[in-house]
Amino acid sequence: MTPAAEGIGRRERLGVDVSAALNLVGSMVKYLGVSALVPVVFAVAHSEPAWPFLAAGAVVSGGGLALQRSTRGAAEEVGVREGYLVVSLSWLVAAVYGALPYVLAGDPQLGRPVDALFEGMSGFTTTGSSVVANVAELSISMQVWRQLTLWQGGIGVVALGLAVLPRLRVGGKQLIESELAGGGVDQALSGRIRDTVQRFWSLYVAITLVGFLALAVPGWLGVKDTMDAYQSFIHTLGAIASGGFTTEPRSIAAFGGLTQWTVVILMALAGANFALMYRALVQRRVRQALRDDELRLYLAVLVVAGLAVGALLWGDGVLHGEEALRAGIFQVTSIVTTTGYFSHDYDAWPTAALMTLALLFFAGGCAGSTAGSIKMVRHVIIARLLGREVVRTVHPELVRPVRLNGAVVDERTQLAVISFVLVYVAAFVLGTAVLAVEGMIRGPTTEVLDLVFAAAATLGNAGAGLGPSGTRGSFAPFGDVSTVTMTLLMWVGRLEIIPVVVLLRRSYWRV
Amino acid sequence: MKVFLIGAGLVGATVVEALHRDHDVTVVDFDQAKLRALGQRFDVATAQATAVSRGELVAAGLGDAQLVIACTSRDEVNLVAGSFARGAAAGATTIIRTSRAEYVELWREGYLEADFVVSSELETAQAVSAAIGMPSARHTNSFADGQVQVAEIDVADSANTDVRGRPLREAQMPEGSRVAAIIRDGRAILPKGDAVVDAGDRLVVIGTPGSARRWCELVAPRRGDVRDVVVFGAHELGAAIATALVQSGLDVRVIEPDVARADQLAERLPEARVFRCSGLDPVFLQREGIARAQAAVFAIRDDARNLFAATLARVHGVPYTIALAHEPVAEDVYEQGSIDVTIDPGGVTADAIVRFAHDPRTRQLDTFEHDRFVVLDITTRPDSEYVGMSLREMPLQDALIGAIVRDDKAFFPRSQDVLQAGDRVIVFTEVSRAAMVERVL
Repeated sequence: MTPAAEGIGRRERLGVDVSAALNLVGSMVKYLGVSALVPVVFAVAHSEPAWPFLAAGAVVSGGGLALQRSTRGAAEEVGVREGYLVVSLSWLVAAVYGALPYVLAGDPQLGRPVDALFEGMSGFTTTGSSVVANVAELSISMQVWRQLTLWQGGIGVVALGLAVLPRLRVGGKQLIESELAGGGVDQALSGRIRDTVQRFWSLYVAITLVGFLALAVPGWLGVKDTMDAYQSFIHTLGAIASGGFTTEPRSIAAFGGLTQWTVVILMALAGANFALMYRALVQRRVRQALRDDELRLYLAVLVVAGLAVGALLWGDGVLHGEEALRAGIFQVTSIVTTTGYFSHDYDAWPTAALMTLALLFFAGGCAGSTAGSIKMVRHVIIARLLGREVVRTVHPELVRPVRLNGAVVDERTQLAVISFVLVYVAAFVLGTAVLAVEGMIRGPTTEVLDLVFAAAATLGNAGAGLGPSGTRGSFAPFGDVSTVTMTLLMWVGRLEIIPVVVLLRRSYWRV
Repeated sequence: MKVFLIGAGLVGATVVEALHRDHDVTVVDFDQAKLRALGQRFDVATAQATAVSRGELVAAGLGDAQLVIACTSRDEVNLVAGSFARGAAAGATTIIRTSRAEYVELWREGYLEADFVVSSELETAQAVSAAIGMPSARHTNSFADGQVQVAEIDVADSANTDVRGRPLREAQMPEGSRVAAIIRDGRAILPKGDAVVDAGDRLVVIGTPGSARRWCELVAPRRGDVRDVVVFGAHELGAAIATALVQSGLDVRVIEPDVARADQLAERLPEARVFRCSGLDPVFLQREGIARAQAAVFAIRDDARNLFAATLARVHGVPYTIALAHEPVAEDVYEQGSIDVTIDPGGVTADAIVRFAHDPRTRQLDTFEHDRFVVLDITTRPDSEYVGMSLREMPLQDALIGAIVRDDKAFFPRSQDVLQAGDRVIVFTEVSRAAMVERVL
């Protein structure tokens, strides 16, 4: 052997630093286990078994620690390429963690691993779709645990949207990269996540506390049809995460107008960009925040679509006056912010209203919020791009850059936005097709709107179903193939699809 | 005054032309050919030197200068040379030319060490803006914070007979204005009451902005204000012009064939519509209705192309054309062609620079008719022999006081009005008489 050959080493086939990625995943999920102590408190107080939570906490924290230990010596800085693996794995691990207590406790409605994973994924992706047919039968500690998975997912989603996805150049997200998301552009991924969570953590907690008080205080003052302290706790966690889990079989329909309006405001807050809220509330630059293109479209859609649906209901005679408008605005806000609560039994609404809601599944809240789906910022860009193309057919030589908040959106970003929307629609069509085939073979439904709602609600992390999974039902009637499909839809929808698709390419793994 | 001029380009040559008669000028450049050409035309000292070498500048005589003008075409060179001048020629006035408006801002905020920073782009853009604002004038400029407008107007055959063909004392002239000169056959006549204005004459009018506008309507009737302009070319000058026009609230379209420049301007100036094409395609001109623009500015770097584009635009019906002239000869060619107003970027920049070679009481000056005539904005000395005299009594030859600014208010004096100490006057005269006017006032 010549001296040169000695130094060359063996051929590297793997281009991704898997151990560094696993190390980062381990270092993050090891803290997750702490959250299991919250339901433990409720379990002890209500003399319910606490061990499933303790065990789940121990497994995930121990597992995280073990993962971190076993990959000790891996590179400390994780690059963009490993980032896709990190986020995909993190949400998978979190979903398993969410599912563990249900399986361990052998819950009658959630004990099957397929159902438990659905519920766990639904929680950590802040979707809010549930396979629980009768939420009242869940033990108190299980009810709390479900809400808590949503709430934990919420802050994770904010960090994902503000710090991680922009760095991974997903779906044109680089254009909403916020300078508030901590660190410089070159900061390592783990550092960015940490800074972002630290910065928005207190805002997230503060909004949650205010929301809790806003829901609970009227009840303490003796106003009728309002929430008690426990219900306020449960629904604040659900609304701020734009989740949608509830402990009430009739969701928010169980409460009066005041409470429903309060929930509308909480949902609307959860669907707004947290970096913008931070700027307006903490840095007191309200005016600047209100000039944001995305926020303006978001508020306009909530008001216009809400009033339109309300008018449809009123005109159709389903509801009248303030209640019709309240129902319209509530349901539109619930779906646009991808929360999934309902204030009225929309299953019986006229088709025109349901079609409007089905379309709004593809709206999504603001980027950098807890909402899912396509998101307003992309709609702004696509609308302007289309407007520009229309003008160009008349004036071919005209140079007109697409702008967002005055800044020019470069062509790569425009392409990324368009391809994201196409991939999103493709995922929706594929998901609907699977649900339709299984629905044809073994039920529960072959109604087009039912299937559209189920696929769009899970892919968009909105959670609100129709028909069997609608206001009077749950996602339980779906077969296992559909349940697994929807679990996948929630996962890829939350990660904005691209990071998962990237992992499926050979070129991702190769040197 | 000992003037040390760095850079013998277009701006430099124009400055030399304005200063060589009354001042001791040394020109420094790296290009021997340019120096030779200048030295043959004018009585100036020349020295070949690198502007960024302190030693070479000092050897060329920088140390003795009272006025240092760094006007090469490169900002960095001018900044470096300017900073050398502050050290080597203590007490000298330094002027730096820049192509970036940003540096002018920096200088105003006190970040650049210089007595004056002048930007060709800003000066040119202002000149174009002024021309657009008064479409009938060949040349116009404002003085005393916009209170006084000077306009040079061609008297058309269609001129109103209130003023045309009758002695000035009988003419019904707009309120608040004076005729400073009638230029006939290339000679200026400082008019008396019996002078008659006729078609083919060129008038120099000094008055309020409103009266100057009224004069335009009287002697060169055209349709109203320009609201809609097309700018050809988006190089630095074209971009600066488009920006200035947008800022004055006009509807601006820009035509630029270069992809990168078109994109850059479209990004920087969202209010303007930028078209990426040559502008020489009749189909395009037709389709975009370029002919329906009220005015077109030609800021292409090539004078021949400017003339071609302007002629094409005129053929399509653009009523008012303004073009930048880069070569000295272009102004004459343009005048024969289809260009209404010629603006010489080197010349307007030189005007801004040359002021510093004048008496420090001269706040502003403006030259026109190939730098043959000048309007000076000068504050009178308290001990001037003219103070206390009425205009009629003044033995001022070949010069005319068109406006007086007293207590920050401008008025347009008649022959019986008396000059007071501290008055600021707007005077029209020949360039060669400017120094005399400054001396006596």
